[in-house]
Amino acid sequence: MNHLRDQYGKEIEDVLARYPETQKRAAVMPLLYIAQREDGYVSTQDMDDIAELLAISTTDVASIVGFYTLYHDEQAGRYRIQVCNDLPCALRGADDFLDGLCDHLGVKPGETTPDGVVTVEAVMCLAACDKAPMFQVQSYDGIAYHEVQTVKSAVKLVDGWRKEKASG
Amino acid sequence: MTEKIAVAVAENLINLTIDNREVSVPAGTLVVNAAKLAGIDIPVFCYHPKMEPVGMCRMCLVEIGRPAIDRASGKPLLNKDGSPQINFGPKLETGCTVPVSKGMVVRGYTEEVTEARKEVIEFLLTSHPLDCPICDKGGECPLQNLTMEHGPGQSRFIFDEKIDLAKNVPLGDLIFLDRERCIQCARCTRFQDEIVDDPVIGFSQRGRALEIITFSDPGFDSYWSGNTTDICPVGALTTTDFRFEARPWELQSHASICNHCSVGCNTTLNTRREAKSGGDEVIKRVMPRQNEQVNEIWICDKGRFAHHYTESPDRLTQPLIRKGDALEPATWDEALQLVGDKFKKSKGKFAALAGGRLTNEDFFNIQQVTAKLGGKALLDSQMAGGEMVAQVGVGQGTNLSDLRAGDVVLVIASDLEEEAPLHWLRIKQAAERGAQLIVANPRRTKLDQVAHRLIRYEYGQEAAVVHAMLDSFSPKRPDQPASVKQLLRDESVKAAAEDVQSATNLIVFYGSEGLDVAGSHTLASACANLLIATGHVGRSNNGLVAVWDKGNAQGAWDAGFATSVNLADDLAAAPNLYIVGADPVGDRPDLAETFEAAEFVVVQELFLTKTAQMADVVLPVLPYTEREGTYTNAERRVQRFYPAISPRPGARADFAIAAQIGLALGLELESKLASLAFEQLAARLPAYKDLTYGKLAETFEQWPIIGREDLYYGGTTYDNTQGLGVQPPSGAERGESPALSFEALTDPEKRKGLLAVPVTRLYDLGLTVTTSEILATHWEQPHIVLSPADAEKLGLELGAQATIKLNNMQSPVAARIDNRVPKGVVLVPRSVGLHIFGPAPIEVGA
Repeated sequence: MNHLRDQYGKEIEDVLARYPETQKRAAVMPLLYIAQREDGYVSTQDMDDIAELLAISTTDVASIVGFYTLYHDEQAGRYRIQVCNDLPCALRGADDFLDGLCDHLGVKPGETTPDGVVTVEAVMCLAACDKAPMFQVQSYDGIAYHEVQTVKSAVKLVDGWRKEKASG
Repeated sequence: MTEKIAVAVAENLINLTIDNREVSVPAGTLVVNAAKLAGIDIPVFCYHPKMEPVGMCRMCLVEIGRPAIDRASGKPLLNKDGSPQINFGPKLETGCTVPVSKGMVVRGYTEEVTEARKEVIEFLLTSHPLDCPICDKGGECPLQNLTMEHGPGQSRFIFDEKIDLAKNVPLGDLIFLDRERCIQCARCTRFQDEIVDDPVIGFSQRGRALEIITFSDPGFDSYWSGNTTDICPVGALTTTDFRFEARPWELQSHASICNHCSVGCNTTLNTRREAKSGGDEVIKRVMPRQNEQVNEIWICDKGRFAHHYTESPDRLTQPLIRKGDALEPATWDEALQLVGDKFKKSKGKFAALAGGRLTNEDFFNIQQVTAKLGGKALLDSQMAGGEMVAQVGVGQGTNLSDLRAGDVVLVIASDLEEEAPLHWLRIKQAAERGAQLIVANPRRTKLDQVAHRLIRYEYGQEAAVVHAMLDSFSPKRPDQPASVKQLLRDESVKAAAEDVQSATNLIVFYGSEGLDVAGSHTLASACANLLIATGHVGRSNNGLVAVWDKGNAQGAWDAGFATSVNLADDLAAAPNLYIVGADPVGDRPDLAETFEAAEFVVVQELFLTKTAQMADVVLPVLPYTEREGTYTNAERRVQRFYPAISPRPGARADFAIAAQIGLALGLELESKLASLAFEQLAARLPAYKDLTYGKLAETFEQWPIIGREDLYYGGTTYDNTQGLGVQPPSGAERGESPALSFEALTDPEKRKGLLAVPVTRLYDLGLTVTTSEILATHWEQPHIVLSPADAEKLGLELGAQATIKLNNMQSPVAARIDNRVPKGVVLVPRSVGLHIFGPAPIEVGA
């Protein structure tokens, strides 16, 4: 029973083919992308599956998920808005922006909206201090930057996602 | 300095200066180790001399200077006074990651270094709870000691910003984690990964949030987990066995030898007299004791945790004599009188059966009694070949740590991590150092992962594999069966034979996987012949090693015991039986008839076993923890253990009882001092000539230096101050020509149904394991292991209940499915209550 292999057999084969037979464990990163793409997080079952595919221990896989901040081991919103509120961004109003956004969405940093569309997170430096307030959006299939933001522009973005969801 | 270190030094010296002292060490030595060799301590937390350096904790920061070289001429630049000019780097360097170089100058005493150490300690303590008064490590804690020595005494961090973390996290059944105490040195995770290849714990998150996790199921479940608590430099990892049990400074230490398997790990038993045990001395924990030639600084969890039988209230403390149907308490005088009278009349109708956990002194005295009565001295074991190991076993000075490229190790018919964990570990390390490892087994085992060559054969072809190797480079024997001829065409066998021929040193380990006693004998003989034919006997790092089932099986063979090929017949032939440290009826219910029919049965035991219940006289004995003695390990090393706690009143040591019985037979055997019994033994057995308790207690300095005041360096493993043991010369070294037959082979019988084969599991249901409740969840329940194909055919799913019929006994078992098991074969573990003594037909029903 290996859900990942059943679901993405061909893609996983292609990934594994890129690594020498004795270095298969190096494929853990791309396999985690595949696992996370489905639900936006890596479940324990996924970790077991990857461990089995690469003949390493589940604990090894979990260590890697834990080390990288962009792998998640718990389900959250479809879109993760990651607002940088480090000092330079705060000087350009990132804290106020974060508060405003949270108020509007009715959540606290780290929480997900009841409709499951958005999770708001405060994160460390995203290397765009001069464009603050800014955030990155991590969705199931990638990451996008949104710079020089206002609460209004951010809310507009969220409304767009909600509409998208409503229309299926 | 030890002999060994001195030899290494002679090879390739590097001269350097550490703290104004001239030091000469081998090239490649790390600065911390060079300092240690010179008696200078550079404090460390994450560095451990048995593991690769990682430079994580920064505690070992020192000033390192190197001679300045003129770029144009390539010559060293000199100061005005003619001394070499030394360039110090702009920053401190970690002494644990920097190898020594010529002319290097290391300074660990400067203000800058002192300040750095202060700051590192301050950082490590930012969120450490400083709960030393309730911490099990308190008193033997590297963090505590180094904080006292190098710490600032005060912290600039705000107390309220300390992070509260979970303090009682069970990582598994045996190990608890206190997250607050962890200083993130990664010794435990590196040990599990690098040393024992069982990476079931790891790090998650990073920075301050870094924490130890396990995602394995079931948790931190490793045969090696206890060792992580020894090398943990803080109180983050503790064992469920010792947690909250005692303070280290209250403990007494007693040198001992583990007798669970034949590796003979050196241990220290920590004891304490305590109120909760009614003022009795109790063993609080078992710790490894350094012997770099045997177990280095490690022990397996069975050795560490399966010690509780000593304190069992069920132990016998009074001789029992059968009166009608019941066994009734009697005095020692009555019991010995009766046994003496009966044995005197039993001449020629007598047999002794002894278990492999007895000491050399016990075996010797029992053998003398048996010889006097003209009986057979039988060893209760599933293996044979000890007489061959005595002849062509590994030579004096053998150390598995010396094996390297050019040397060959052949392991045949053994699941080594289950049968002898430390042998597995040390052979794995030899293979990693470059020794050629050949693993021959019908199914995949953990050792395969590091093997260079794998030979797969069918159960029943064990000896045929070795014969085929022999035949491939020597004149073919005409009478070989088809299986040998077929294996001769096997590429892996051919290649292995070539390895063996070109080996500098060759050690052959044979185990008991899938074998009965006769099969074991045939395999041992084939292996011995292979060693002789290739000239690999009679010298160090060459020879035969039996992976015995019990700690002192080799000692039994040396004293004249032999395993019976047909135990039932041998016992039935002797109406007077002397059973010592063995429970044949418990192991094989079919022997009950033999014991019912026997005239007179004496059982010497710790517990009232099934056999003891059928005895005429039961004599209570002392466990090895309450007496002294010697064991001979699989590598023929004779090792001495010391009493750890006072003997329980009423019980006596086995050798003493045998001597007292001997008295009635006119034998003068030592009944009081084990050392004198050993003297008698040494005078009679050529293999033990010139050995004395004094010699066995000798030690020499070992590397790494461990377990002294500087606990931070190697952990809480004990320094060996009471004896490294002696490997006496083997028969071949004494110039005896091995009297070996060449056992003719036959092909395994063609069979229709399934074949059951015995396998060994570390945590079986032996009495020493089941008396340790702490291992309860690890006890192997009766089960069988099938190949997926067979399981499907039988309609069995993983974990399903099945019924087996094996050797006329029906038993319910759980079915396990494993694709490593060959089709048509059913693995049946030994010592879990199933009726398996060798390969046998089995019926499996859903």
